[in-house]
Amino acid sequence: MFAFLVRRLLALIPVLLLVLVIVFSLVRLIPGDPAVTLLGPGATRDQIIALRAQLDLDQPALFQFWSYFIGLLHGDMGHSLKSGQPVLNEILIRLPATLEISINAVLIAIVVGIPIGVVSATRANSGFDHSVRVISLTGVSMPAFLLALLLQLVFAIWLGWLPVSGRISPYFFVDRVTGFSIIDAWLSGEPGAVSSAIAHMVLPTTVLAVFLAATLGRFVRSTMLEVMDEDFVRTARAKGLSRHDVVYRHALRNSLLPAITVIGLKFAEMLGGAILTETIFSWPGIGRYMYEAIRNRDYPVIQGATLVFALMFMLTSLIVDILYAVLDPRVRRKMS
Amino acid sequence: MSLTRRSFGAMSGAALAMSFAAFVSAGAVASFATTAIAQESETLVIAVPSDPAGLEPGTNKAEPVGSEIILNVFDTLVAWKAPDFSKLEGRLAKDWSISEDGKTFTFDLQNGVEFQDGTPLNAEAVKFSLERTKKLNPYVEASLGMIEGIDTPTDSEVVIHLSEPYPAFMSILAQPQAAIVSPAAVEKYGADFAKHPVGTGPFAFRAYEADTRVVLDANPKYFRGASKLKRLIYRIIPEASTRRLELENGGIDVIQQQSQLSAVPTEEMKAFADNPDIKIIEKPSQIIRQLEFNNSKADSPVADLKVREAIAHAIDYDGLLSGVFDGTAERVYGPLTSNSWAFDPKVKDLAPKYDPELAKKLLAEAGYKPGDLNLKLYSFQGSLWGDVATFVQANLAAVGINTEIAQTEFPSYRALHVAGDWDIALDGRQPWYNDPDAHITIGYLSSLKDTAMTFRMPENKSLDALILKAQQDPDMDARKALYGEIQEDLVKEVPAAYLFSPNLIVFTRANVDGLVINSAPPLTEYWGVSKE
Repeated sequence: MFAFLVRRLLALIPVLLLVLVIVFSLVRLIPGDPAVTLLGPGATRDQIIALRAQLDLDQPALFQFWSYFIGLLHGDMGHSLKSGQPVLNEILIRLPATLEISINAVLIAIVVGIPIGVVSATRANSGFDHSVRVISLTGVSMPAFLLALLLQLVFAIWLGWLPVSGRISPYFFVDRVTGFSIIDAWLSGEPGAVSSAIAHMVLPTTVLAVFLAATLGRFVRSTMLEVMDEDFVRTARAKGLSRHDVVYRHALRNSLLPAITVIGLKFAEMLGGAILTETIFSWPGIGRYMYEAIRNRDYPVIQGATLVFALMFMLTSLIVDILYAVLDPRVRRKMS
Repeated sequence: MSLTRRSFGAMSGAALAMSFAAFVSAGAVASFATTAIAQESETLVIAVPSDPAGLEPGTNKAEPVGSEIILNVFDTLVAWKAPDFSKLEGRLAKDWSISEDGKTFTFDLQNGVEFQDGTPLNAEAVKFSLERTKKLNPYVEASLGMIEGIDTPTDSEVVIHLSEPYPAFMSILAQPQAAIVSPAAVEKYGADFAKHPVGTGPFAFRAYEADTRVVLDANPKYFRGASKLKRLIYRIIPEASTRRLELENGGIDVIQQQSQLSAVPTEEMKAFADNPDIKIIEKPSQIIRQLEFNNSKADSPVADLKVREAIAHAIDYDGLLSGVFDGTAERVYGPLTSNSWAFDPKVKDLAPKYDPELAKKLLAEAGYKPGDLNLKLYSFQGSLWGDVATFVQANLAAVGINTEIAQTEFPSYRALHVAGDWDIALDGRQPWYNDPDAHITIGYLSSLKDTAMTFRMPENKSLDALILKAQQDPDMDARKALYGEIQEDLVKEVPAAYLFSPNLIVFTRANVDGLVINSAPPLTEYWGVSKE
């Protein structure tokens, strides 16, 4: 197992290098000069030339790449062209915001999606199954921005139960300790801060969770149906196990394995930033940050953030593999 | 392998329980909106679409959000006087005089003004600030770069020497880039000054959280008297629909005009018009949007004056204002807006009027049969530009000119425009300081044609000389006459079909009082604002 882990971690290095080279060149192929974008339509050539020199953009690409690479080895991802702050800091500041809604959404999706899939499969083609399939198809197909707007209208404007956007009421002063809003609100001890933080989280989390729960429900349903047809299930039934034991001890366990892959991949995607959800809810996460960076041609930020995404994606799939080993003795044997 | 199946199960169980707990308690927060927030009536929450870039004069590049925050945290020597912003008044300067040759500016400073860190404002601080910004900020190289030297004969007297006469310099001094910073704070924070800006203004910087908010607290010792508001919160909300819902819900008090430049807010206007909780403030701007001709491309069809005139006569200007803008834009007749102090009323009569028949006749005279002339119409991206481009396309089609619309992303558009590889293009300028110079010199001086998005005017010695003279003449009446001459000359040349000037539109909650919008540039000072 240890050897497997080391092998997998070492394999990350060439992939990351490749990602770095590709992103570095792609970013520079997008037409448009960051100095022009930063200065806006009124700028004159002299202003642009001065800013380009200030940002090292007048140096050859190879030189820029080399100095970026050397910086990376020292843990320096460069500075954002827009804010002038170190990129790594900027990403780390925004990561908790994305993490907290992503983790919550995944947990909710698991709690809701898997049971729905199981019940749907065990009662295939019943009335319950049909309605679940219609609802989950809607959940999968509904664009995030539409769902977000509907939820804002209903819960914030009509019912007035929840805030429209943001992470906590702007009237609070909550010191950043962990970066996770509920925990920081609790640590601040300000009355009402924790409930404000939770209330702000409900809608964006729901938007993310609905899509994943629907995907997961549909996926678990179909794998369950496949598994229920397999020989070992028939054997389990034949030896007289109760229906409950057949479904939950044998069929479900075996159909959950592929579901873990789906959850892992979707979670990694969310970490890459739910751009629309974060934008509509003014959620200061990493997706919104990346989007702004692309619009501003903020090269160091695009490079740094992509690298971090790639790393997170690879780590997530590594974790999925480890979970496989934990859950499936066959895989574990193969590894060792 | 320490992670067993059982411990994994236990862990995931615990995680599920936690998420459930969070969501169950979320149900209990329905009353959150009304939890006691005592200072709400003394706090103004303003929505802006993006983060400020540079919260101090040394790094500000006329980016609107940061510029406005600077004007509330810092003071300038002089400022435009509300409510019509056509005259300068002293701010940190009590009084000033300009030498006859227009190169020496002498300022007499207010007494007893303190920076928010308690250090006194004096002539040395003014000298320090302007010299610092001149050195640090490439954006003002052309303007503050003219400063040859600054003398401080006494503690309250500042004498600025320019290399050339430049009357618009006073207007530059009213800009955020020329705001006066606390030398003690610059020394204390060094490179981190932008994170801890300290000025003399009515609000002191308190906090900035990226992508979230900027908080300013009232400066109780402000030299013009403390603001009625105790706190300003700028909330960064990129999505227009979210801003609208927040305003309806009372989550914010003001939606800034910067949010409205890329899309026509007609929908919001209609939605808000019947809402008694919301006020709409509308004011003409000095922004100009035009259908520009490439005036330096000899092989272009628009090199022919008759073709340019035909296009200018083909456009239904009033239809554009009512159809696309629903009355939220004003007519523009020439190179300056009608609310500029240098606007020449004669231009109104000289400007081409909507006359499709005349347009067709002019095209025939230029040798084009209907359908012969095919042009690519370049435009910025965004729904506003798309709507305008479609309208212009239909107008031109009606007189027999075919156009293909190419909406292009800004950096690429700029590259293409400056390279001169186009015939007709939608373009515009928002002057970043309040002087006709901000439109005329950059737009029409032929020597600048390859350096910025200009009208690409061909070399014309008499016009160029006139522009430079108007830029430098210290006598304001003489300048006005010179700009009049320039406007008349330009309109006859038809360098563009001048389309419209969008109004500045600000939405506020009905209880917000005393908000006055500045027309050029649209940066709001919140010192006089209160909430009832």
